[in-house]
Amino acid sequence: MQWLDAIVQGVLLGGMYAQYALGMALMFGVMRIVNIAHGDVMILLSLIAVSLAGVLPLGNVGLVLVIVPIAVGLGWLLQKFILNRVVGADPLPSLIATFGLSIALQNLMLEIWSADTRSLPNSDIASASFQIGPIYLGLLPVIVLLCAFCLTGGLDAVLRYTRFGRGLRAAAADTEAAAMTGVDPKRIYATATAIAVGILGLAAIFAALRATVSPSDGSAQLIYAFEAVIIGGMGSVWGAFIGSMVLGVAQAVGLRIDPGLGILFGHLVFLLVLATRPEGIMARKK
Amino acid sequence: MTTIHHTRVQRATLSSRIAMSIGIVALVALVAMPWWATSGNIRWAIELCCYIAIAQMWNLLAGYAGLVSVGQQAFIGVAGYMLFVLAQNFGVNPFVAVILSMIAPAVLAVPTYFLLRRLDGPYFAIGTWVVAEAVRLATSNIDYVNAGAGMTLRVMTQYSQHEREVAFVILCAILLLVTIGGSYWLLRSRHGLALTAMRDNPVAAASQGVNVGKLRFYIFVAAAVGTGFAGAIYYMAQLRITPSAGFDPFWASMAIFIVMVGGIGSIEGAIIGALIYFFADRLFGEFGSAYLIVLGLLTLIIALYARGGVWGLLQKLGDHPWFPVRRKLIVEDIS
Amino acid sequence: MTDTPILSTHGLTGGYGDFQALFGIDLHLMPGEVISLIGANGAGKSTFLKSIFGLLPVDREMVRYEGAAVGGTPAHKMVGRGLAMVPEGRRLFVGMTVEENMRVAIDHARLSESEGQWTRNRLFELFPILGEKRNQPIEDLSGGQQQMVAISRALLCQPKVLLCDEISLGLAPKVIREIYAVLPEILSGGTSIVLVEQDVTLAREASNRLYCMLEGRITLTGNSNEISRDDIAAAYFGASNAMA
Repeated sequence: MQWLDAIVQGVLLGGMYAQYALGMALMFGVMRIVNIAHGDVMILLSLIAVSLAGVLPLGNVGLVLVIVPIAVGLGWLLQKFILNRVVGADPLPSLIATFGLSIALQNLMLEIWSADTRSLPNSDIASASFQIGPIYLGLLPVIVLLCAFCLTGGLDAVLRYTRFGRGLRAAAADTEAAAMTGVDPKRIYATATAIAVGILGLAAIFAALRATVSPSDGSAQLIYAFEAVIIGGMGSVWGAFIGSMVLGVAQAVGLRIDPGLGILFGHLVFLLVLATRPEGIMARKK
Repeated sequence: MTTIHHTRVQRATLSSRIAMSIGIVALVALVAMPWWATSGNIRWAIELCCYIAIAQMWNLLAGYAGLVSVGQQAFIGVAGYMLFVLAQNFGVNPFVAVILSMIAPAVLAVPTYFLLRRLDGPYFAIGTWVVAEAVRLATSNIDYVNAGAGMTLRVMTQYSQHEREVAFVILCAILLLVTIGGSYWLLRSRHGLALTAMRDNPVAAASQGVNVGKLRFYIFVAAAVGTGFAGAIYYMAQLRITPSAGFDPFWASMAIFIVMVGGIGSIEGAIIGALIYFFADRLFGEFGSAYLIVLGLLTLIIALYARGGVWGLLQKLGDHPWFPVRRKLIVEDIS
Repeated sequence: MTDTPILSTHGLTGGYGDFQALFGIDLHLMPGEVISLIGANGAGKSTFLKSIFGLLPVDREMVRYEGAAVGGTPAHKMVGRGLAMVPEGRRLFVGMTVEENMRVAIDHARLSESEGQWTRNRLFELFPILGEKRNQPIEDLSGGQQQMVAISRALLCQPKVLLCDEISLGLAPKVIREIYAVLPEILSGGTSIVLVEQDVTLAREASNRLYCMLEGRITLTGNSNEISRDDIAAAYFGASNAMA
């Protein structure tokens, strides 16, 4: 029974990871860019949320309404001033630029918020739980998972059925050919980044509600997002979602075996997938 | 009257002869340090040599092979740990162990490369980071190496401080010869042209018959060994290693900063960058995170606006290579 | 036909970075005309098309379209002005279906599908096989069928000028005939065409006028039915080779 419980908790944890991974899958899919500061941006948004909650009585929903637009704006700035200058066939400039940004952001956060761990004030949602059979479920993790599910479904539908989605997939397949067909690649990139960071805004609030955040946590979030995307299979948002579940379960199971092994198990599953099924578990055959 | 053209291939330049002379003087001065410098200065010199070596190896990876790694700390850590285990648990002479410990990074690099080569450029980079994290976490869970608490190199107490210092400066001199000299040799060899072609355009290089995959693999392993060698020397001098220090991602940040600021894709750049970083660290290290914010922003700005770094800017003022890797055809008229 | 060209280039120079591939190209296209641009591999034909289309940097005055200087305008804005291209190697959007490829063009076209003269249905009549395979991924189509999708995609941009880059390359003669048979229909709607070809016979038959390009320069131009084969051979390979 404790293994069933581990799997359930792992899936719930995966809901959190899916929110980090979706944005990364989207940005990599379109621009072939991995933003190394992905996790740090999320932590920054969490810390802003924690500080805001300390001065304004916004409530959790109010916080979401404030933080998500800030996140979208941040995504726009990131695109305009950094990513647009480094998009290209050579991965080095984008990696180095966002790597530098990551170090600067982490230390900036240390200066402002110090190394303390912080979280959003405990609300009813964060502590509420219910029981199904022998298994206890926290209300908040379930909400996080449902949100991740809806975001994935929503994003998938946008990519499939909207003008923006088709333009984005076209630009991802062949940027130059897309431009020849009337698609404005810069605008597509900007929108994709704004959506990706906007999702991080939501994730930031959930992360600060679920657990604590501190300025140096960003790297771990980046790695989890990355592992989820690769495990699931590149280029599909449902892949990122399923990959997040697998990663969450691997970590939760590892944690039950030995408290020191949780994260390591996640890495090992990632390496195992890379060794045996490098195209990802969700990828279709060519 | 006929003119006879005599052609020869020239590689050495005035600047390279000066640089070579300075290099030899510096190397001799380094080896002589135990007889003229303070212990504090020797410690600094060891650190600087390790920075240069690690940066040079990263430069080889990212600047030539197109393999951007943010996980070089994996090789630093495993080499350091192998040294400590051999010397402390098996009683191997530590100065022999430091050489043997280059086996560990080589052994780790092979499967790492084969696992990660399937990943696209930016994903390869984060992949190396995951490997480094996995090795760090695994090390933290192995009681044989004292888990998270780390190990101490107590066997070093059997040598006098002077003996240790002599050994360290010799090791550092070898380290520099192997990493800088090795890179220079590689770039001047017949693989050098292939590497330069690969740096400029891997697809075109492949179509010209360069076996890009094979060359990348060799460079990845060689860079791992060079990086590990530096790591072993560094932690030998520290006398202590822990998983969080030995596998600290900051090693990668440092290598990236040094190479980007100094100038990627040149041997000179990594040396200049290491010197800049070393002195910046002495001068501003006390400012902690404020200093690191500046380092991060500087890296960002260089990636955006000045990809050639300091060496790139110097090159614009005049072509004075310290390590000329190009061949120049000189046509002389002998009338 | 009016006297002002719809599209013209004036001393167009350009290339990739430091590598100059084009040395002062003067070319014009009249409304309702088909011109062909022939030349060997590496003559600079594709570079020229990309330069017109804003995919490579050129000076503003080097390209004129409907009387306005438009050189260097980003590609997606050129589509908005009425230019479309069938790129070399088709460059379709993999991972998307036939119809989705077409819809990208419809989404971003100058005119909507109902306002413009090209609709999916009309194209499905022209290329019935595309109608049958409209929901299949683009990777499942044969080379000829993919070329039909590429042409359809360009036409759904509702262009006034269509640039075709080596549309016959790598296709069977029967398929080439099928594709070239569509050109009159495109012309009849008022669209002017620039054909880039390596196949001289095909280029001469299909065009009113012809330009021959060699090493980044125009070496010959004239009415397609008046130029002799020998002149073309000389211009195509360079004079010295032709004499030999």
